[in-house]
Amino acid sequence: MSTLEIKDLHVSVTDDEKGEGQEILKGVNLSMSTGEVHAIMGPNGTGKSTLSQAIMGNSAYKVTQGDVLLDGKSILDLPVDERARLGLFLAMQYPAEIPGVTNVEFMRAAINARRDEDKQIPVMEFIKKLEAKQKILDMTDEMSERYLNEGFSGGEKKRNEILQLLMIEPKFAILDEIDSGLDIDALKVVSRGVNSMRGDNFGSLIITHYQRLLNYIVPDQVHVMMDGRIVKSGGPDLAKKLEDEGYAGLRDDLHLDVKLTDEI
Amino acid sequence: MRANLIDKYKDEVTSFSESKNEPDWYKQVRLDSLAKADELSLPKYEKINYRSWRLDRPGVINADSEIKNDNKPQADNYIYQAGNQTLSSSLDEELSDKGVILTDIFSAMNDYPELMKKYFMTKVTKAEDNKLTALNAAFLNSGIFLYVPRGVHINKSIQAMFVQDNSVDCDFVHHVLIVAEADSEVTYLENLVSTGSGYKNKANIVVEVIAADDSRVHFSALDQLSKDTTTYLSRRGCTGNNTRLDWAIGFMNDGDVIGDFGTDLLGEGSHTEAKVVAITTGDQVQGIDTKVTNYGQHTIGHILQHGVILQKSTLTFNGVGHIVKGARGSDAQQESRVLMLSRKARGDANPILLIDENDVTAGHAASVGRVNEDQMYYLMSRGIDEKTAQRLVIRGFLSSVISEIPEKDVRASLTQMIERKLINGQQ
Repeated sequence: MSTLEIKDLHVSVTDDEKGEGQEILKGVNLSMSTGEVHAIMGPNGTGKSTLSQAIMGNSAYKVTQGDVLLDGKSILDLPVDERARLGLFLAMQYPAEIPGVTNVEFMRAAINARRDEDKQIPVMEFIKKLEAKQKILDMTDEMSERYLNEGFSGGEKKRNEILQLLMIEPKFAILDEIDSGLDIDALKVVSRGVNSMRGDNFGSLIITHYQRLLNYIVPDQVHVMMDGRIVKSGGPDLAKKLEDEGYAGLRDDLHLDVKLTDEI
Repeated sequence: MRANLIDKYKDEVTSFSESKNEPDWYKQVRLDSLAKADELSLPKYEKINYRSWRLDRPGVINADSEIKNDNKPQADNYIYQAGNQTLSSSLDEELSDKGVILTDIFSAMNDYPELMKKYFMTKVTKAEDNKLTALNAAFLNSGIFLYVPRGVHINKSIQAMFVQDNSVDCDFVHHVLIVAEADSEVTYLENLVSTGSGYKNKANIVVEVIAADDSRVHFSALDQLSKDTTTYLSRRGCTGNNTRLDWAIGFMNDGDVIGDFGTDLLGEGSHTEAKVVAITTGDQVQGIDTKVTNYGQHTIGHILQHGVILQKSTLTFNGVGHIVKGARGSDAQQESRVLMLSRKARGDANPILLIDENDVTAGHAASVGRVNEDQMYYLMSRGIDEKTAQRLVIRGFLSSVISEIPEKDVRASLTQMIERKLINGQQ
């Protein structure tokens, strides 16, 4: 069993216009183990994506206080690629497009980065695995032969993120708004992919605004973030309650003095 | 004062010509060119200074290379030259029956004097263009002639391998003449490599492509001359009416090289796409001047140059789009982009548009920048280390030429070449 712990995490981003740091996360605490699926919900502009980028190690996000521990060891000093090789995966909201590098080539490079020089994945083994995973996601060879994310539709990019997840098999996957821009059919396919990973050796942190995704990927725990903090945690029912009452309702119940971004 | 070239080298050039059993007309071309070389100056390129390379000082031209024709594949439609010698040459019988010619340049002078007199340095590049082209004509010691007669379409590609040898003290003065007659089609691919060590040599290479009316010519090149080879490399072509002439050049040399590329769009409605990718490493200097001139009406000239600069090297791209008066309805577009991977590197991308006609379209894009951080983050977030991620992003950046290479195995070898040069440059 592996664990991922986030302790009193404070994160700032630098405002390009003003050139000064703005604190987005103001002390997030969260801990999870493989075998569990956690959902993070919250209104826009509350720091959900910042949390995912800070865990992964995006250099645009500066950790000013607190720690992130994988299996008890801090990963904050490690570069992105080392964090990934230790078992973290981030399915991104806006994956980069890389012309000239095919999906297949990229996934092989990613898998081989986790293996010793003399134990690279045999071609046949790779192809078999790829075919099996593509099937779960209703994907064709044609997509895998294309250049990485280049000219992909929004839905295809999301599907491709999940294909990488299935191929790489990380310990912990953070899914950052994997449901945004997906129609209901695509949402089901993506959920089927994530669910196929569920088991004792896999944990997932799912970031979403909407409860809808959680009908298909049922979480063990739901956390609600507002203004850079987790303000409430609970079971799957919490997500349903939010869907009914909205974030403003929960805020008022908790007597929080927080202005929601989209509130007039 | 230094002795004139003609006085100094007349005897050497004459005896070399005789040793090759050249016809008198070409011996005369050599001597005339040698005399002209004294009067001519080095070609000038914006922001590329190579005067100190001494490309205008001839060295030894006649030395026997030790290279043997060992295990090189004897592919069809293939010519293999090392140093001054042609080691193998083959052409489909079917093609030679149709009148296609693929032969070394000396045989061509004897066997096809009329074609050679008509096309050799008369249509595209002339001996009197500058000092270096004059020296190319005067000191020529290797090269090939490829001729595709009217109406002949060659489906398979014609490949050439040229090996420049640094295990002997000898300049590589090379000339490739390609003539595609009206309504013909050919895909040609050349590999330019160095071998051996011990001497620092100069190379003076002139490639001419004459593409007549309604012909289609696709020209690819993979260049990997060594750091001991200082080079002037000219590849230029001209078009007839409705001709298509495309270039895909992988400029992966390790030494100092001037590349002078481009097309004269003479015929109406002709079209050229000139794509060049380059990597510079170590302390080498590569300057590439790609010039397309629209003479004919409704001609299209597009230039794309992408380059990567590592360590202390220098890479300069000039893109010159020139539309002459009267070339109505023409289009000149260009894009030159340079990625700098080192703070000690120097890079330049200069767009130069010369427009002398009103009824035209033209545009340019040029940039000197760093590797895209979003792409790096994305690749690294999948566990790929920084250097590998950098190479993948760069490969993408250079893919415009890679995907143009017609043969799968040659595409793979360009990818390997890029990989090798980047790995060296990342150390």
